[in-house]
Amino acid sequence: MTAYVVQRLLLMLVTLFAIITLTFFLMHAVPGGPFTSEKMLQPEIQAALNAKYHLDDPLWLQYLTYLRGVLSLDLGPSFKYAGMSVNEIIAEGLPVTMKTGALALICVVALGVPLGIVAALNRNRWPDTLVMVIATIGVAVPSYVIATVALYIFALRLGWVPTFGLDDWRGYFLPVFALSGFWISFIARLARSSLLETLQQDYMMTAKAKGLKRGTVLFKHGLRNSLIPVVTVLGPVVANLLTGSFVIEQIFALPGIGRHFVLSITNRDYTAIMGITIFYAAVLMVMIFIVDMLYLVLDPRIKYRADPK
Amino acid sequence: MTDTQVAPEMWAPATRDGAAAEYIAAPSLTFWQDVRKRLWANKPAMLGLGFIILLVLAAIFGPMLSRHTYFEQNLKLSNVPPLFQTYEVTDSTGATTRFFFNSGNLNLYEVTPSGEVAGLLRPAKKDLIKKQQQFKFGDKQVVLDTAKQQLSFADGAALTPSGWQWNMSNLLGTDQLGRDVLARQLYGARISLTVAFVATLVNFFIGVFYGGLAGYLGGKADTIMMRIVEVISTIPLTLYVILIMVVFNSGFLSVVLAIGSVYWVDMARIVRGQILTLKQQDYVAAARTMGASTPRILVRHLLPNSVGPILVTLTMLIPSAIFIESFMSFIGLGVTPPEASWGTLTSEAVETLRAYPYQLFFPAAAISLAMFAFNFLGDGLRDALDPRLRA
Repeated sequence: MTAYVVQRLLLMLVTLFAIITLTFFLMHAVPGGPFTSEKMLQPEIQAALNAKYHLDDPLWLQYLTYLRGVLSLDLGPSFKYAGMSVNEIIAEGLPVTMKTGALALICVVALGVPLGIVAALNRNRWPDTLVMVIATIGVAVPSYVIATVALYIFALRLGWVPTFGLDDWRGYFLPVFALSGFWISFIARLARSSLLETLQQDYMMTAKAKGLKRGTVLFKHGLRNSLIPVVTVLGPVVANLLTGSFVIEQIFALPGIGRHFVLSITNRDYTAIMGITIFYAAVLMVMIFIVDMLYLVLDPRIKYRADPK
Repeated sequence: MTDTQVAPEMWAPATRDGAAAEYIAAPSLTFWQDVRKRLWANKPAMLGLGFIILLVLAAIFGPMLSRHTYFEQNLKLSNVPPLFQTYEVTDSTGATTRFFFNSGNLNLYEVTPSGEVAGLLRPAKKDLIKKQQQFKFGDKQVVLDTAKQQLSFADGAALTPSGWQWNMSNLLGTDQLGRDVLARQLYGARISLTVAFVATLVNFFIGVFYGGLAGYLGGKADTIMMRIVEVISTIPLTLYVILIMVVFNSGFLSVVLAIGSVYWVDMARIVRGQILTLKQQDYVAAARTMGASTPRILVRHLLPNSVGPILVTLTMLIPSAIFIESFMSFIGLGVTPPEASWGTLTSEAVETLRAYPYQLFFPAAAISLAMFAFNFLGDGLRDALDPRLRA
């Protein structure tokens, strides 16, 4: 067990290193320097800028400098926002992204799982059909379409919620809904099919035959076992909620990391792109690790072991 | 207790006939015949397949048959809706003018009797303070109140609409640059589907090659290759697609390259798993004893037998490729204008959402319907290929 955790942590370090290296060289393969723009700079100024940001160093030295920076949690200065560091950009956007992301995750679990259970318990009756129709639509319609249509109806036409920003608590409704819509549907479908499969297991019949109460049978024997596949996909769900925020934050004009990322892409702000990518990757890896550990707690049948070498 | 009535002939002893006991009632089917039969019986899957075929045909032949091209602009006829309410004004000489009011840009457009949009009507006088425009039709005058969005005659009597008319010159209307939405939609289908199919094909080749090799070689090579896959799959793939797009600049080829080079990981895993179980089979040992080379065993024996899961993964990859492409286009990294894909069409429609909400309908519907179709087909294929569900 401990060996497994250590191995996972080591693998995470290797992955992070690979990501840093890959992003660094990808970004330096882009033609044109960060200060190439329509406005031609004086050669002296250009040289001074290059010297200030160590861009006149050989590539390997720049790489080592960057690597040292990342190790000391310093992602360097932003090339487009004078005086802003990438760290500051992330620190500014993180609370917003985390808040909407966490709310969306709560919605996914708190709505997706019960919907799936209701559908499974009413198999082939109207609640099942209703949930499945909604879930099928939710999986097929892209999140940005859901977002814009919801924005149009609820904010512009009905005026129930503000059109942008999070100053008002009602401002959270639409972004969270658009962000979690796909995954609520996905989890509902998954929970339904998983619970249906569990209900047919022999131990369910045994539990019923022992004379246990219906609630005990359903919750202790049925649900606990059928939720394991749901927990496994939570890692990818977290990942997708974070990357999904690129578009959602753009549409609702939320000042989160996703919007900064898209902005830095359109601005070709290479250090910001690099820094935010690395940050995202690190967060995601930690999240997936946590979910895997959670999985271990929930299902005592699973014993993680380090690979025998 | 009630007596159960059993007909006397039911009590007759059965004849013993060895041949009859061996009789097989169902026709013997090969695996693929059975799969085809079960897929046929799956209505949503067949509906999906039919829609996909229709979509592909429309994408190939649609742009050829269309009167308009996807890039031809006509700024005078921008944002014309597909369906509008027409008004008719007859002057004293008996000449009738048919026109409609576009509430999005507050313009009047003349309509021919057959329903084609003839052109913009120029106001004779504009009163910016009262927010009124005067139009002259022969000796009749019509006043357009742009604030109230009302049309009335000079004497104050309101104009009543004469009826609804479908736009015959642009069946789905025009966008903000006056381009035909239908032509762009068809062209967008072409780009989106091509991106999806080509990217899926690239994924297929890389994934099958990589996974097949890892599974077949086994041992150390397998461990190392799968560790690499594990590292890649920890990285959020969307981020990498975005990075690759930044490096290679947006455009059709880089979208294909970005999606194709990143999403092969799942395919590699599935192929490897299949190969690992299949290579223990006796027929592989037999082939090797007869001196077949590694590539031959892989291509002739192992891959054909794992084609089922590969096919299912492929059908599921296509919709996600469409999704990723539209996602990239939406944040401005997809194909470059004036080229169109479903993603760019959606993002263009979102820009004008306030004034022309209906413009979002067609691209959004196209993506969603394609999603439905591929998902249904994929589900159907998975069920049909699953031997456990065999009837």
